[in-house]
Amino acid sequence: MELFFQLVLNGLTLGSVYGLVALGLTLVYGILHVPNFSHGALYMVGAYVAFILMSNYGVNYWVAIAGAAVVVGVLAMLSERLVFHPLRDAPPIHDKIAAIGILLFLEAGVMAIWGADFRRMPTPYSGIVDIFGLTAPAQRLLIIAGAFVLVVALHLFLKKTILGSTIIAMAQNREGAALVGINATKVSLLTFFISGALAAVAAGLFAPINLVYPAMGHLVIMKAFVIIVLGGMGSIPGAIIGGLIIGFAESFAGFYISTHYKDLVAFLLLVVILSVRPEGLFTKGVR
Amino acid sequence: MLQLKNVNLNYGSFRALHDINIHADEGELVVLLGANGAGKSSIFLTISGLNKSVSGSIKFRGQELLGMKPSQIVEAGIVHCPEGRKLFPGMSVLKNLILGAYVHRKDKAGVQRSLEEVLDMFPILREKKDQPAGSLSGGQQQMVAIGRALMGRPKLLMLDEPSLGLAPLVVKQMFEVIQRINQSGTTVLLAEQNAYAALKIANRAYVIESGRIVMEGDRDTLLGDERIRKAYIGG
Repeated sequence: MELFFQLVLNGLTLGSVYGLVALGLTLVYGILHVPNFSHGALYMVGAYVAFILMSNYGVNYWVAIAGAAVVVGVLAMLSERLVFHPLRDAPPIHDKIAAIGILLFLEAGVMAIWGADFRRMPTPYSGIVDIFGLTAPAQRLLIIAGAFVLVVALHLFLKKTILGSTIIAMAQNREGAALVGINATKVSLLTFFISGALAAVAAGLFAPINLVYPAMGHLVIMKAFVIIVLGGMGSIPGAIIGGLIIGFAESFAGFYISTHYKDLVAFLLLVVILSVRPEGLFTKGVR
Repeated sequence: MLQLKNVNLNYGSFRALHDINIHADEGELVVLLGANGAGKSSIFLTISGLNKSVSGSIKFRGQELLGMKPSQIVEAGIVHCPEGRKLFPGMSVLKNLILGAYVHRKDKAGVQRSLEEVLDMFPILREKKDQPAGSLSGGQQQMVAIGRALMGRPKLLMLDEPSLGLAPLVVKQMFEVIQRINQSGTTVLLAEQNAYAALKIANRAYVIESGRIVMEGDRDTLLGDERIRKAYIGG
């Protein structure tokens, strides 16, 4: 029972982080149809910004995460303005190449400024919490709670506010959105900001139980792509549920099969699910 | 009120519109007649600012529209209800209508007033207001599209093929609605293939063929014209 609980907790933790990263990816895909390969690098920059704010400037953990969210959000907006926007009318392959370019640029940039060393991010929540006689590391609970709060907030923003609705409107019908007077440029910038901020928060939450290094985004972004393909490209519930599926699968496979193969599970699942449901699991879901 | 002068439009090397000169006066209902692909939608999309590589001049109440963003053109008072409706299919009918008033979003009371007007005009939408727009029948979706356009409180409303693909009875209702909108003071530009029904409610009309205006005149002239009868009305 204790062990099962640990595995569930572990799955929820991974699922929360993957879900947050995948959410940003799917939002951007939904409105621009750009698979943003540089999203993993934004995640990595988020971890670095939070880490540097804490270790060099002694900033509080939460303030550091908020700071990272703003910095990475603005960085994502810059990438839209300076790179994706000018390519709007170019053939679709150009966006993809440019996205990989941003990825390389950000990784090289981080390496040049902060070096390639592995670093450990401190957390004020390193303790163990006792719930119902079961023990759990506080940071993991924090990740789950943090992701939950963010997802609920994002849901309310998209469904209940006019500004949020413009993002969904543009995803559902770009021309219709322009004809009611929604400014496509503003919506794109807003979406990129949210996407970047989500990645940075995910990184800030996850980094203390992981390491901070320039290539830390690689596996995360690959899995996030698996998740949005599974969940249906552009589907928000798909990203969340897909994230949990991959998180749980990894957690359980890591224990029952082998930790060496845990990273393989996501991709194996992708192959299996796509051969059964090529359209993704939630393509019919309301976006 | 609206005046297009020598408007040309290119899609790549293909010239879709040749020297279009049309105008609509305050309160008029002006019809654009033409077959599929004649250029009716191109004219509308150009006025709405969605087409690039346009030359000429498009003036609305003295203001040059060419070079303005689609959102600015909506704010200026021109709302386009496009062919194929372009609704937000996953959103409720109500949400579609509310987004139609996007440019007036700060005026909450005004939006509520427009909403009541639209729901009074299309009572069926009141019943279906919480359903996803994509789940409605074609005629009901067209009502949502027109309703969404009206929520923008247009001074000039452009309707692109509102009767396309609808049952004959629904088409009749649609034209009655359009006439009512026009009578309440909104200037209407209507693109139609259904020439007879459109001409009957029109003040004036233009005939478009292969991206050119080939004929223009008031309702009675065109209804009585032999070529129009042959080409668009039949018999």
